[in-house]
Parts: sequence; structure tokens; C-alpha cells
Amino acid sequence: MGLSGFFRRRRSVLPGFGLTLGLTLLYLSLIVLIPLSATFLKASTAGWSAFWHTVTEPRALASYRVTFGAAFIGALVNALMGLVVAWVLVRYHFPGRRMLDALVDLPFALPTAVAGITLTTLLSAHGWIGRYLEPLGIKAAFSPLGIVIALTFIGLPFVVRTVQPVLQALDPELEEGAASLGAGRWQTFRRVIAPELWPALLTGFALAFARAVGEYGSVVFISGNMPMRTEITPLLIITKLEQYDYAGATAIGVVMLVISFAMLLSINMLHWWSGKRYA
Amino acid sequence: MSIEVRHITKRFDGFAALKNVSLKVPAGELVALLGPSGSGKTTLLRVIAGLEVPDEGTVLFDAQDATARSARDRRVGFVFQHYALFRHMTVFENVAFGLRVKPRRERPSRAQIAKRVHELLALVQLERLAERYPSQLSGGQRQRVALARALAVQPKVLLLDEPFGALDAKVRQELRRWLRRLHDEIGITSVFVTHDQDEALEVADRVVILHEGCVEQEGSPEEVYEHPATPFVYRFLGNVNLFHGRIEGSKVHLREFSADAPADLGQEAIPAVAYARPHLLDIDHQPPSGRPHFRATIAHINAAGAVVKIELTTDSGAIVNVELPHERYRQLQLRKGAVVFVTVKDMKVFTQAQSTLGGGI
Repeated sequence: MGLSGFFRRRRSVLPGFGLTLGLTLLYLSLIVLIPLSATFLKASTAGWSAFWHTVTEPRALASYRVTFGAAFIGALVNALMGLVVAWVLVRYHFPGRRMLDALVDLPFALPTAVAGITLTTLLSAHGWIGRYLEPLGIKAAFSPLGIVIALTFIGLPFVVRTVQPVLQALDPELEEGAASLGAGRWQTFRRVIAPELWPALLTGFALAFARAVGEYGSVVFISGNMPMRTEITPLLIITKLEQYDYAGATAIGVVMLVISFAMLLSINMLHWWSGKRYA
Repeated sequence: MSIEVRHITKRFDGFAALKNVSLKVPAGELVALLGPSGSGKTTLLRVIAGLEVPDEGTVLFDAQDATARSARDRRVGFVFQHYALFRHMTVFENVAFGLRVKPRRERPSRAQIAKRVHELLALVQLERLAERYPSQLSGGQRQRVALARALAVQPKVLLLDEPFGALDAKVRQELRRWLRRLHDEIGITSVFVTHDQDEALEVADRVVILHEGCVEQEGSPEEVYEHPATPFVYRFLGNVNLFHGRIEGSKVHLREFSADAPADLGQEAIPAVAYARPHLLDIDHQPPSGRPHFRATIAHINAAGAVVKIELTTDSGAIVNVELPHERYRQLQLRKGAVVFVTVKDMKVFTQAQSTLGGGI
């Protein structure tokens, strides 16, 4: 595709390509690009060696591991459980289904600090749940596990809400066709339903992951914030800000941005690649 | 394999889709389930396939009760109206699906699967499109892929739900002739659902006409067309003119004309309706002797097509449709507005009670 082809568009009954594209670019510039470039600018004020030193110190590296590791596990758990929840909400009609459906969105509405405090109270050694986990040797609060739990909580709606409409729109004839061809339930799910759900599941996973990476409010209460062990990157940034180390804070912010962008981009590529064959 | 259903009743939320339906399909036949929408024909097909569980009644395959068998275990090939192809699989993978999901000990080797799929694609004339995705095919091609997919597992019975319903007229015609040839080639017991009487009469060995969840009539295409058992069947199988009146003694007195009443209808004075197909009416300039006839004015002439379609208005204001061969039309030199005499060559009289039974007018 040449440059002329790059901007070519098909004549459409709906006018306004120029207007809407212009608005989109302006909006994204104001809301996303300009603040982000400011971050990069600020980070660059300290110079390259100072930047490199800040972002590679052991405490920062450990925080990346905690943040991205916990966010990844949390998103993974959400992908699996969110699929199950969406499945149940779409496929079965039972009393209280609408209540359950409404419950899914609560993690969106609840201030994350409240979620963090609640989870900490529940999971700490003397909490309702924590006291039963303690004897089993499971330390849920003030540990990486606690972070995963908090990030799972705040990411739950994403997978459910992206998978739900796709499941709803799924033609029951596909399953009937598979059954009449002799496929069992598991084969039908794996070979017929899963490929249909895969793109939505991937999107939900990406959203839950992105949300979890940036999460701060709920985690600071439950993690215990021990440097090198349970300190997440957003907290490290806050710590630096409190010490008036603005360049250092933005440097770490830039690293988070780059990693997040790379991961989201690769998920989108995967999405695009899996969809382009037959869409 | 022969199919038999006995006393099938199926309700959906209080609505009875099938009411005590019984039916036999001998092995190797191609049977059409014909009826208007809501007549229960698709439900019946789905009950045979095991996709729907009947409230009452039994389904027998080769005289063995299969009612409790799941769709998976019935070994029927089912072709959906909207194809239900797996869009993330190529044509090849779609056709291979039924072979790939077989239990390991029954599953053919890769080479055998490839061979079988290519045979089937050759059968449906789609060999060159094996690597395409369903979205890259036309409607007719998709339907043939669906058919090949259903045939891949060598089903004992082939069930098709409005197989050509979503296709345009020309493709439909081609595909239904092709389906007939295919059936003659592989000889599999087949049942297809349609609301198109031409399709049913042209393709099927036997036609089963359903109406409001009941079987109205079944028989060969000639039987049901020539000897419709109920007014509903008469009306459903083609265009028809209705004449209302009464039976009195041995005569039937209709608003437009009188004729001899059929002997089997009884002699009391009862309301009756006479049915006559447009091609069973003739037009003349003079009143013919010895045949029932009436006077009418030509309102519209459509001479495009295999026959000339003429719409007339009777003296009482009713509309009558007549179909004449072009030859006869030229000979008569008919003009719009001309007053002519319409002769009834043949008709079928039903009493009002039968008409109500058949769903009313």
C-alpha cells in the first residue's frame, strides 16, 4: 500500500470522515498524548545516566516484578473466572441472575481504597477469612498474594463485560451443528465456542491487565509495602514524589508506560492476527 | 434407514407447535415437510434430529426407539437454513470437523480424512475453494459446504431445514435440482423442510403438508396437487379462485353459477365453497352450453411468462384469476374491459365445515 493508498477511503453514505478523524486526533492528543509527552520530557530533565540509574536500581526492578507479575496473574484469574461468570449469566436463567449481573460492576463503582481496606480487614491474620488461612500457612494480607487478590477484585468486570455480549450473540445453531456432527460438549467448546470467544477474552484480559498495572488505591493497604517484596511501582512513584524527586518519579512512570504500551500493543497484534483470517 | 414418528406433541410456553403428529419416512426416500411459517415443520425436523425433545410421542429409526438418544448419537446429518458454518475454520476444516471429533479409535488417519474431505468437496463441486473461509463464499457455496460437512460423517439420515430459503431464486432452482440428483446418487433417506410448494412438488418423492401443528395430507406430489384432501391444501399448493354458495339437493348453487354437487357431500342445504385453479378456468366470448359458466369483465392482462394471467371482475364484484395458454389468448383476442364468459373446467367443492377444519378462509 502506497502513501496515497494509505489515506484513501471508500465513499460512504455517512459523511464526516475528516471531521471525526480530526476530532479523534485532537481528543487523543489532549487527553493522552500531551500528558504522556510531558512525562517523557520531565523524565529527560535529569539526563540519561541519572534516568538509567533510577529505573534500574534493585528496588525499582523488584517493584516492576511485583506490579507486572501480580497484574498478569490477576488478569489471568479474571480471564478464567470472568469467562465462567459470563457463561453462567448468559446461559442459565435462575432466580437472582439480574442481582448477580449487577454485582459484577461493583468493583468499578467502589472507591479502590475502600476495597483495599475491606480486603485487608478480611484477609489479615485476625480477619474473617485470614484467621482460617493463617493456620494453613497461607499469608493473604501483606504479601504478594494479597496484591494478586486486590488486582483480581478490581479487574473482574472487564472480562465479564467483554465476553458477555459475544456469548449472547453466539448462534445456538453452531453448537447444535457441532453436536449433530458427533462432537461432545468439551469438543464443541474447544473447537467451536472458544475460537468465537477468544478475541473478546483477549480484550477483556488486556483491559483487566492494564487496569491492574496502574492500580494503586486498593493495593497499598493490603500489600504492606515492603520494599523489594510487596512494593508496587505506583507506590514507588508516590514515594519519590513525596521526596520531591519529580524526575525520578516520572522516569519510573516512563518505564511503566513503555512496558504497558508494549504489552497492550502485542495483545492487540495477537487480536488482529487471530481475527484477520476469517473476519 | 427409515424414520417414524408416533404421536409427537411439542409445546413452547403453552403454544402447541406439534399436535399428535405421526409420520413414516421409508428408507431411501426424499420427503418434503411443507407448510406455512408456524406450521410446526421445523420443530418436527428438529425433533427427528434430537435437537428438540418432544413432550409426548416417540421417534423411531429403523423401528428402534431413538427418542432418548441425543443429537450426537443419532447419526443424522443436519443442514441449517443459515448454514451454521464454523467461520474460523476453512472450508476443508469445516467438512473435516465431524471426522476429527470422532473418538480416537474410530477416527480416520489424517490422510484418510483429507481423502474423504476432497471426495465430498468434489461431490459438492467446491474442490478449488477448500482453503477459503466461509465469509469468502456465496450463499449457495456455503450451503453446499454445510451439506458436505453433514455428509462427512456418513449419516443414516439427512435432514435439511429450509436449505434454500436464504438464497436467491435462480440459485435456489439450480440447487434444488442438484439436491435431487445428489439424493438419487447416494440414496440417503432425506427429509427437508420448505414453505415453497414448487420446491416441495418438484424435488420430493413424497410431500407432507403441515398446518398449525397437524399433518393435513401426505402423498406423492401428484396426489396432493391433484387430490387435495382439505381446502387448506388446495389453497396452499397454488393459486386458487374461491366461489361461495350452498349445496341444495344434488346441486351446488354458488353466487356466480350453479353446478352438480359431488355425491359424497350429502344432500342437505349447507354452506359450501368451490375451489378452482386459474388454469382450470377458460374464457370465451359466447356462453358455452353444458358447462358451468359466468359472466365477467377483464380487469387486467399479464402476458409476460409461460401462461397469460388474466384478472377478471364478476358481476357481483368478486375477482377471478384465469391462466390461459398464449395460443388460446391470441385466438380469443382479449382486450382489457371486454365482457366475456368464464367456463369452469374443473373444481373441488368443500362444505363450510371442512373449510373451517382446514383453517378457514
